[in-house]
Amino acid sequence: MIVPLDLVIFAVLIVTAILALQVRDLLTAVALLAGYSLFAALLFAGVLAVDVALVEAALGAGLTGVLFIAAILATTRRTDASKNRRRTVVAGVSVAAFVGLLLFASGGLPDRGDPQAPAQQGVSQTYLANSLADTQTPNVVTSLLADYRSQDTLGETMVIVTAALAATLILARREDEGDVAGEGDER
Amino acid sequence: MMTGSYPSEVVRVVCALLSPFILLFGIYVIAHGHYGPGGGFAGGVFVAVGVILPRLTLQEELAFKLVPTALGPVAAGVGLLLFLLIGTVPLLTGGAFLDYGAVEVAGVEPARMRYLGILVVEVAVGLAVSGAMLMLFDVLVARRTR
Repeated sequence: MIVPLDLVIFAVLIVTAILALQVRDLLTAVALLAGYSLFAALLFAGVLAVDVALVEAALGAGLTGVLFIAAILATTRRTDASKNRRRTVVAGVSVAAFVGLLLFASGGLPDRGDPQAPAQQGVSQTYLANSLADTQTPNVVTSLLADYRSQDTLGETMVIVTAALAATLILARREDEGDVAGEGDER
Repeated sequence: MMTGSYPSEVVRVVCALLSPFILLFGIYVIAHGHYGPGGGFAGGVFVAVGVILPRLTLQEELAFKLVPTALGPVAAGVGLLLFLLIGTVPLLTGGAFLDYGAVEVAGVEPARMRYLGILVVEVAVGLAVSGAMLMLFDVLVARRTR
């Protein structure tokens, strides 16, 4: 963890997130989101959460971009500008209030890496101390995900497969079904 | 057009050369989760990328012949089933659900059984994730290209 680098990454994250919301061209927004994920992966790697960084880089910066682009090609590339002034004001105020609340609450959090933090006190001590003897696995993250907390992982896997199945069933078209979205001249 | 042969020959050749190695790296990440970063989720994504890259760049018939569309749902289902089955095996020997250490095999200590159980779980998660990603990609491009 290098504080100046972290500050730069945070600035880049905020700028790319705001830009991704602002641009009209959705392909640009996808590229910005991929950049956001890449810098988030750097941030995770900076706090030595290498497993999370790897997933963020592979999924966030890589595959989601491809899926988003496929979705854009199947739908439309440009968004209309929001003309509703009142909605913008309400959204801006509530976002600012929420950010303020989070910043206020973060003052009560323990410091990053504090050994006295509540999260370091409970069952995690046992996991860290016994992981190698229990499972012969040097990477504690893996033994946590696939052994100590494997029911959570089973639930996540179920969610992913179910979500993909549901999306496929919604989007799939039968052979005899025409294209409703005005692209009939393509076939 | 999302899939189909890409106009630039450089892109086509580079992707054709790279995608087997991306696949191999995905399998390495899945199998190497015990010792380094990664595991089923990250490795499954890499495997899916290794399959999707040829679909984006190579000729459509060739890419879909290499890895047929049906493989996505099959891999996802087999992965999830494998996870559930490996979870129920310890129940037969009196252990708890997903408690691989309770399975008794002569000459193998419980810690080693848990090590092997983790490996099977990582492979199952990798199959499920790569299958789910492939399924999503295929249904998104099929709307457009067929």
